[in-house]
Amino acid sequence: MNCPRLKEWLEERYDLEGVKRLAKGKLIPEHRYDLWYYTGGITLFLFIVQFLTGMLMALYYVPHIDFAHKSIIEIVTKLNMGWFFRSLHHWGAQLAIVFLFIHLFGTLLLKSYRKPREFVWITGFILLGISIFFGLSGYLLLWDERAFAAVRVATGGAGALPLVGGFIKAFLRGSMDVTGDTLLRFYAFHVAILPILTLGLIGVHILLVQLHGMSVPLSLKAEKQREVPFFPNVFYKDLAVWLTVTGLLVTLAVFLPPEIGMKADPLAPPPENVKPEWYFLFLMQTLKLFPGAILGMNGETIAILLVSGAILFFFLIPFFDSKSARGEKSPLFTWIGVIYLLYFLTMTAVGFFS
Amino acid sequence: MQRMAIIGKYWRKKGDSSRFLLQKVGSCPLFFARLMAAAILLLPVAAVAAPAAEKIVKIAVFPTAPYYIYIVYESLAVFWVAILGLLVIIRMKIREIERVQALGVEKEDQDAPLLK
Repeated sequence: MNCPRLKEWLEERYDLEGVKRLAKGKLIPEHRYDLWYYTGGITLFLFIVQFLTGMLMALYYVPHIDFAHKSIIEIVTKLNMGWFFRSLHHWGAQLAIVFLFIHLFGTLLLKSYRKPREFVWITGFILLGISIFFGLSGYLLLWDERAFAAVRVATGGAGALPLVGGFIKAFLRGSMDVTGDTLLRFYAFHVAILPILTLGLIGVHILLVQLHGMSVPLSLKAEKQREVPFFPNVFYKDLAVWLTVTGLLVTLAVFLPPEIGMKADPLAPPPENVKPEWYFLFLMQTLKLFPGAILGMNGETIAILLVSGAILFFFLIPFFDSKSARGEKSPLFTWIGVIYLLYFLTMTAVGFFS
Repeated sequence: MQRMAIIGKYWRKKGDSSRFLLQKVGSCPLFFARLMAAAILLLPVAAVAAPAAEKIVKIAVFPTAPYYIYIVYESLAVFWVAILGLLVIIRMKIREIERVQALGVEKEDQDAPLLK
C-alpha cells in the first residue's frame, strides 16, 4: 500500500525520516548467542496478546462473588469464540512467564546485567515479579474452588513473614479471609494497577536497552563483532519468531483449553491435592522440606525468610558481581546461576509430579 | 441388634429371590432369552448415561457440536499453513536483504540527482 499524500502529510508534521534513520542506524551484534536476544521480544509480544485478550474478557467479566464464576462460564459457553479468547489469555500468561524465566536465566548466564546495565536487570526483575502477581490475581478471578484454595494458601504464606507479613496478608485479602473483598481487590490489581505499572516499567526497560545497546557476552568480547542493522534484518527475524509463537499459542489454546472447576465455597473443605500455578511449585516444595518448628521457631517462617533472602540476593546480583563489572570472567556467579536454575527446575518438576 | 436383624432378613429375602431367579432360568429357557435381550438392550443406555452423569459436574470449555469442532480444527490447519507460508516469504525477504547488503548497494547516495 503506497499513500504518497498521507506520507507527505505526516512528513510535514513529524520527522518520520528521523525515526527511519534511527531504526536503520541501530546495530545489533551477531554472534552464536544472539538467539537469546529474541526472548525479550517474545515476552513483549506475549504481553501485547495478554492486554488485547484481557480487554475482550473485561467486557463480560463481573467481579462479584455471586456472578464471577457464572460470568466466566457464560464467556466460555455462550459468547462466540469466548472459549478461544479465554484459552488464549490463559496460555498467553503461561508462555509469557516461561519466556520471562528463559530471558532472566539467559541474561544471568551471559552476564548481561553487568555494568552499565544494572537497571535493565532491576526493571526486568520487577517485571517478572509483577507478572507472577498478574498470574496469582488472574487465577482468583475464576472464583472456583481450586483458585480459592490456592490463593488462601499463597496469601497465608505471605502472612508468615515476620514484621510485615500480617500487613501484606491483610492488604492482599482486604479482610480476615479470602472473601468478596479479596476478589474485588485482585480484580483492581489485575486490570488497573498492575497493567499501568507494567506499561511504565516496559517503557523504562526498553528505553534503557536502547540507551545501552545490546550486551555482548564477555567470552566474545575479544572477537571481532559483526553487526547488523535492527531494521530490516532483525525486525524480520523478530517477525518470524513472533509468528511461530502465535502458532504455538493458538495450538495450545485449541488443544488444551483451561478447565473451570466448581464455584468456590468458603465454608467447604479445600479439594484434595490442591496445587498452585507451576511457577509457585518450587516455593511449595521448599516449604515442604522444612519441619513445623526449628529451634522453637516456626519452620514456615524460617523457610519463607530463606527464600526471600535468596530472591533478594538474585535481585541484587549485578551489585555483588564486581568481577563482571570490571569486564573479567566470574565463574562463581555462573555457578550460582546454574544452581538457581537447577533448583528451580528440580523443585518445579517434583512439585508437578508429586 | 434389631437393626442387624432387619438387615439379615433383607439379605435372606434377597437370597431367596436370587434362588428363585436361578430356578426360573434353569426351568425356562425363554425367560432366560428375554432377560439377556433386556440386558443387551439396556447396555448402550447405561453406557451413554454413565459419562453423562460425570458431565453434569464438568463445564464444557470447548465446542461440543461436531460441526463446530470440525470448523475449529480446519481453521487451525489453515492458520498453520498461512504461518508457514509467511515464514517462507520472510526467509526469502531476509536472504534478499542480506544479498543486497553484501553487494553494498543498499545505502542511499545523498548527492544522487532526483527525477521529479
